[in-house]
Amino acid sequence: MRLRPQTVKQWRRFRSIRRGYWSLLVIGALLALTLVAELLVNSRAIVVSYEGSYYFPTYAGFMPGRQFGLDYDYETNYRELAAHFAEQREAADASGTQAPGNWLILPPVPYNPFETDFRDDAFPPYPPSLSTQHYLGTDVAGRDILARLVYGFRLAMAFAVILLLCNYIVGIAVGCAMGFWGGAFDLVFQRLIEIWSNVPFLYVIMIVASVIVPNFWTLIGIMVVFGWMAMTWYMRTSTYKEKAREYVDAARALGASSPRIVFRHILPNTISIIVTFIPFSVATGVTALTALDYLGFGLPPPTPSWGELLAQGTANLQSPWIVTSVVVAMTLVLLMVAYVGEAIREAFDPKQFTFYE
Amino acid sequence: MSAPLLEVRNLTKFFPVRAGVFLRKVGDVHAVDDVSFTLHRGETLGLVGESGCGKSTVGKTILNLLRPTAGQVLFEGRDLGTLSHAEWRAVRRDIQIVFQDPMESLNARHTVGQILEEPFVIHKLGTPEERNIWARDLLERVGLPRSAVSRFPHEFSGGQRQRIGIARAIALKPKLIICDEAVSALDVSVRAQIVNLLLELQHDMELALLFIAHDLSVVRHVSNEVAVMYLGRIVERASSNEIYDQPCHPYTRALVSAIPLPDPGRERDRIVLEGDVPSPIEPPSGCRFHTRCAHAERVCAEKTPEWETVTPWQQVACHRWRELRGEIQD
Repeated sequence: MRLRPQTVKQWRRFRSIRRGYWSLLVIGALLALTLVAELLVNSRAIVVSYEGSYYFPTYAGFMPGRQFGLDYDYETNYRELAAHFAEQREAADASGTQAPGNWLILPPVPYNPFETDFRDDAFPPYPPSLSTQHYLGTDVAGRDILARLVYGFRLAMAFAVILLLCNYIVGIAVGCAMGFWGGAFDLVFQRLIEIWSNVPFLYVIMIVASVIVPNFWTLIGIMVVFGWMAMTWYMRTSTYKEKAREYVDAARALGASSPRIVFRHILPNTISIIVTFIPFSVATGVTALTALDYLGFGLPPPTPSWGELLAQGTANLQSPWIVTSVVVAMTLVLLMVAYVGEAIREAFDPKQFTFYE
Repeated sequence: MSAPLLEVRNLTKFFPVRAGVFLRKVGDVHAVDDVSFTLHRGETLGLVGESGCGKSTVGKTILNLLRPTAGQVLFEGRDLGTLSHAEWRAVRRDIQIVFQDPMESLNARHTVGQILEEPFVIHKLGTPEERNIWARDLLERVGLPRSAVSRFPHEFSGGQRQRIGIARAIALKPKLIICDEAVSALDVSVRAQIVNLLLELQHDMELALLFIAHDLSVVRHVSNEVAVMYLGRIVERASSNEIYDQPCHPYTRALVSAIPLPDPGRERDRIVLEGDVPSPIEPPSGCRFHTRCAHAERVCAEKTPEWETVTPWQQVACHRWRELRGEIQD
């Protein structure tokens, strides 16, 4: 397929805006890394070599301690197993016998976001420490903050993207229909949307959250029900505009059906509006989930979430590493998303590419 | 004479004007009011008038891009207003349109190949390979390189784009092409090329052309017959020679006097119209031209002029054409 020269120009222009381009690369890399977060931030070892066999507990699932010569039947604590193997080697060195050759590789951050790391000599939250490998410390329940940040990021981004898709599908469909059919349909939907937009969304969430415990999908559902309207206005106007252009008349004169006109002609010509809004919608989605979690109306604990960390952090300012890490992480991510959005908007600026020469 | 290919009878198109909170109808724009003409196979009718007089609306109403308020459009004897959806699809193969601004009428997101294959796709003709070959053939037919299929409209000059627009219009081998100001936006030299291309295609394909323009000089070159429109009405229709040699309606006379002459030394009487075109929402009573006509009398404001026959090839809607002709000869 050949890209339109204009698309190529827009991409070049986007790339020339350095901070937007780099932000896109960094966010893309982060998202790619979170897809394999289980290999990077996890309490399960990546590889265990025990008595000549190899085990891959990350994806293989539950393995009892007894499997690796420990004296319990619950899930192996791989950090303890690593210490155990080290002791074995030391004992073998001391006695001069042949070491059993067992080893394992732990992820760089050997904690999962749910486990509480209690110690005999202290109460959590523990400050950041290299020796315990809690690089950003732990929260008040002794859970590793970095692990919760990473999984919270993954969840928030997934939430934002799915929310965006649902919102856009409904919003574009309704907006496009309003613009395309116009008339009474448009008028009725305009008024409906105006009324619907005035329903206080936060109250609805609170009421729903007090009746049922929201999960990921119910939360998406509620937010789509109250969030699809934003896109309709932009789509409505641009559909009106595109519909009045002569290429639509030309297609109709050829006998093109309405679906064909909408999907082959009008929608592709409004794509720049949609693309421009995507980064800002992502930022909105992340912020919305964080805000709801902060208030306690979001995803139920112990789901790793930035909002919940933020609430903990502000409640425990004497342990500043909690609030610092989440605020820094959130600021960076939102900033990068905003930079990407700014660069896209700049690249798609119609002033750069007027249709008339 | 054989039955006409296209017959337009009393075509009327009003656009409602709405205002207020409840968008109540407060009036009508009389875009096209009681327009009738006929067009025979392989012939050209020029439809002339200034901007806003409703000539483009006539074209769009014939194609059913706008629904007529009243009147009939007969194509090959069939009333297009009574056709079903499926029948219209079939008729669309026979009537095509070329627009004024090809940058607007060609989808900027599609390659020339996609644009030219679309007619075949819509009418489910041929395989993808055949369509591609046909698209290339069409390009060659209008004088563009076959390789242009993979390029985008904005990579071409204005004249080349208009050739693409024409190629799309002839793709389905229509019998009638409506040229809606098809050459008005082009440079004079390019305009001549495009007009010649249209005439050549007309000759080869036995096309009928409805040539809509605001410029009589181009229309004269292409048309067998000319209809002059003013504010939604046709005021005079005649064969091409008659309208230039002995225009009868004062409006036509003003238009003809405005045609630039290639001879700078020649003396001529330019008739300059006073005032602006009246609002089409409340068009003037009687003869619509009376507010600007130098020869208007009381009857012009009171009575709508009937069609009067000057010669078998010329009809005029003017109360005073006989007297005026005398005045001119004096």
